[in-house]
Amino acid sequence: MSATMYKYDDFDHAFVRDRNIEFADQVARRLSGEITEDQFKPLRLMNGLYLQLHAYMLRIAVPYGVLSSRQMRKFAHIARTYDRDFGHFTTRQNLQFNWVKLAEAPKILEELAEVEMHALQTSGNCIRNTTTDQFAGAARDEHSDPRPWAELIRQWSSNHPEFTFLPRKFKIAITGAQKDRAAIRVHDIGLHAKPEGFDVYVGGGMGRTPSLGHCIRTGLPGEKLLSYLEACLRVYNRYGRRDNIYKARIKILVAALGPDEYKRQVEEEWARMDQAKVDAPVAEIDRLKSFFPDPEFKAAAFDRVAYQRAQTADAAFARWIKNNTNPHKRDDHVSVTISLKPVGLPPGDASSAQMDVMADVADAFAYSELRVSHEQNIILPHVHKGDLYALYSQLDAVNLSTANVGKITDMIVCPGLDYCSLANARSIPLAQDISQRFEDAQLSDQIGDLQIKISGCINACGHHHVGHIGILGVDKQGIEFYQILLGGRADEKAALGVITGKGLPAEAVPAAIERVVRLYLDLRTSDSERFIDTLERVGRETFAGALHEPA
Amino acid sequence: MSQPNSTHTPQLVTRDGAVIPDGWTLLADDDTTGADGPFILSFERALRELDGRNGHYGVRVLPADDVRLLEPFLEKITLIEVAFPGYRDGRGYSTARILREDFGYTGIVRAVGDVLRDQLFYMLRCGFDEFVVKDKDPSQAITSAAQRFQTVYQGAADSNRPAWAKRHTLA
Amino acid sequence: MKLLTANRLTDGLTLWYTGTLETGTWGEDAARASRLSDDDADALLIAWKLRETDVVAPYLIPLTDAGTPVQREHVREFVRANGPTIGQTADAIASAHNRADIFEN
Repeated sequence: MSATMYKYDDFDHAFVRDRNIEFADQVARRLSGEITEDQFKPLRLMNGLYLQLHAYMLRIAVPYGVLSSRQMRKFAHIARTYDRDFGHFTTRQNLQFNWVKLAEAPKILEELAEVEMHALQTSGNCIRNTTTDQFAGAARDEHSDPRPWAELIRQWSSNHPEFTFLPRKFKIAITGAQKDRAAIRVHDIGLHAKPEGFDVYVGGGMGRTPSLGHCIRTGLPGEKLLSYLEACLRVYNRYGRRDNIYKARIKILVAALGPDEYKRQVEEEWARMDQAKVDAPVAEIDRLKSFFPDPEFKAAAFDRVAYQRAQTADAAFARWIKNNTNPHKRDDHVSVTISLKPVGLPPGDASSAQMDVMADVADAFAYSELRVSHEQNIILPHVHKGDLYALYSQLDAVNLSTANVGKITDMIVCPGLDYCSLANARSIPLAQDISQRFEDAQLSDQIGDLQIKISGCINACGHHHVGHIGILGVDKQGIEFYQILLGGRADEKAALGVITGKGLPAEAVPAAIERVVRLYLDLRTSDSERFIDTLERVGRETFAGALHEPA
Repeated sequence: MSQPNSTHTPQLVTRDGAVIPDGWTLLADDDTTGADGPFILSFERALRELDGRNGHYGVRVLPADDVRLLEPFLEKITLIEVAFPGYRDGRGYSTARILREDFGYTGIVRAVGDVLRDQLFYMLRCGFDEFVVKDKDPSQAITSAAQRFQTVYQGAADSNRPAWAKRHTLA
Repeated sequence: MKLLTANRLTDGLTLWYTGTLETGTWGEDAARASRLSDDDADALLIAWKLRETDVVAPYLIPLTDAGTPVQREHVREFVRANGPTIGQTADAIASAHNRADIFEN
């Protein structure tokens, strides 16, 4: 069986092969001393290769988070052969290896090309990996499948001649469902695919100047998507600021011009452009759509009685079902989230053995398909309910059955100062402390949906601005402090969190969060009033007071 | 700002890989035009003076200049130098595409400044046809850039057809 | 006093300079890094910046009298010297060198 996903044709294979030859030549020139580090750095970054605190890090693109079991197995192989036996799934739905050798990077890229993957445009001031809903094509609340559009954008943005030296990096996200699981309002461009066309949001983002995207267009026909994006990017490329790295994202341009004026310039550019030269024809869009049919859903009769009995017999299984499955468009299927947030381990990490098991269960129970979510978990989009217990048992054997999806211990966490040379503070040890404090399953279930997001610096890779509770690591004279934000959310009611009071030392953070959570449990009107609802009802100040009261 | 290959003397090379002499003279804003033309005017000066001038000129366009303002004068402009003061400033790529694709400009579009072997592929696609390149072997740099990728995914200012066009004529 | 650190070009691993102005070697064990006088450290940094086929991104870590990085640099250099502090990294640097963490206080 093979996953229902985009498959390379000869053109795509040739592209990656040519790119790898070019990069191998660049690496060879660097190793021999023909080019300097200054010359090489922008070239290696264009291939996702960073020099971090301890070693080189290679970030591999997982286009819109869709993976086959074969690709996951290749990741396991690379982790074992070229790295220290594990990898880290990122908020861009990508995978990064933390300990690769420069001299071996071309070999790794060759291995990836065998499974139709590469590391292009995972860094640099270009259009990055387009992200989307991890339940695309499966979710019950979906009205348009975003994957063919994401693939259309992937190809258009690959090696784009005009947009490879933008003022700053550029991120696009697409959703096609009622619930926004792709955080489109905090992307440079956010797209909402609807039957009547796309809503286009521009100028969202996090980092030093967080902002929510503005809707500048509704009902944009899909066959005009690329030319409209090209107009958006051209206005940004020409007029985005280049004098200050912190003011170079498109959100600053849109704020400076005002969304109406930005839109006017885009529309003018769009009207003048030879759109037919940019927009792929309907036949190509149809070809892309043809790669994303439903899998051949298993016809087995679903034994509801046995399913209920298994849950009654095994409380842990029942809890996992409740927390880690998402409604599927078919009644006899669900989407399963494999949590990469076990208590006390680095969020988003998976060992090679775990990757192999995830590939195996995808083959056995999930039509060979997996997804990476921006929450740094792995998804099996289509699983027959009759297979859930067998699936659960196999995951449980390798510590992949943590039943905490959407809960307080399912945190988004950047690598922080343990790996990243840009970070000001560590993120992962703090996440480990928090997850240990809320380890108790009953307590965590009682708290319900609560999203904590942690970044180790202002670049906000850990999305702290849109956490219900956001945590930002700062450095004060060599000592780590953590500022706490309250009230952010990345969904269809997107809002930015607000910093409350002074930064706290790491050891004070878990207790402060526990005080906030206890207050929430006291204040909520019912079990179904979520943390974010209560916070919005009673106001941030009440909770800010609890955060900062003496322990 | 990194300056790859900057130790090499810049040479003028065409899109076909021929190294050619540069017959143009860049005029400072207070220089008068004499016998030793042809001349390249600054962008501001071109906007001020081209309306009243006869003959053919070159114009140097800096990254922040809005090339669309040259549209009324294009018949008098036979060379447009697009300046890349730094490798990472990509505004000149848009400038070239606007000239070629929006205006159908058929004069010379030349890249000058921090122009390096690794940018040439993109510049060729955006419609540049001359390059002042800093490289030990500019001819080889151009020919290898032109042949680097069999597959392109976008329509641009060159004659390469995007993958989608090839897919649907082959089918 | 200063330490000289860099990453090895070929594998990117963190390296520490052991030796004098005249002669020395690079090793992966931070505990063996030489405490260099400011003048020697500055001269060595300039010299090694030119040897780019050996090491990448060399820089100096200023030390207090107690031999730890000055406070401004402390957390970063502690992590750099001892490896990630979070487990699951097959070999923590300190244990790989069979010693305790350095810059502990």
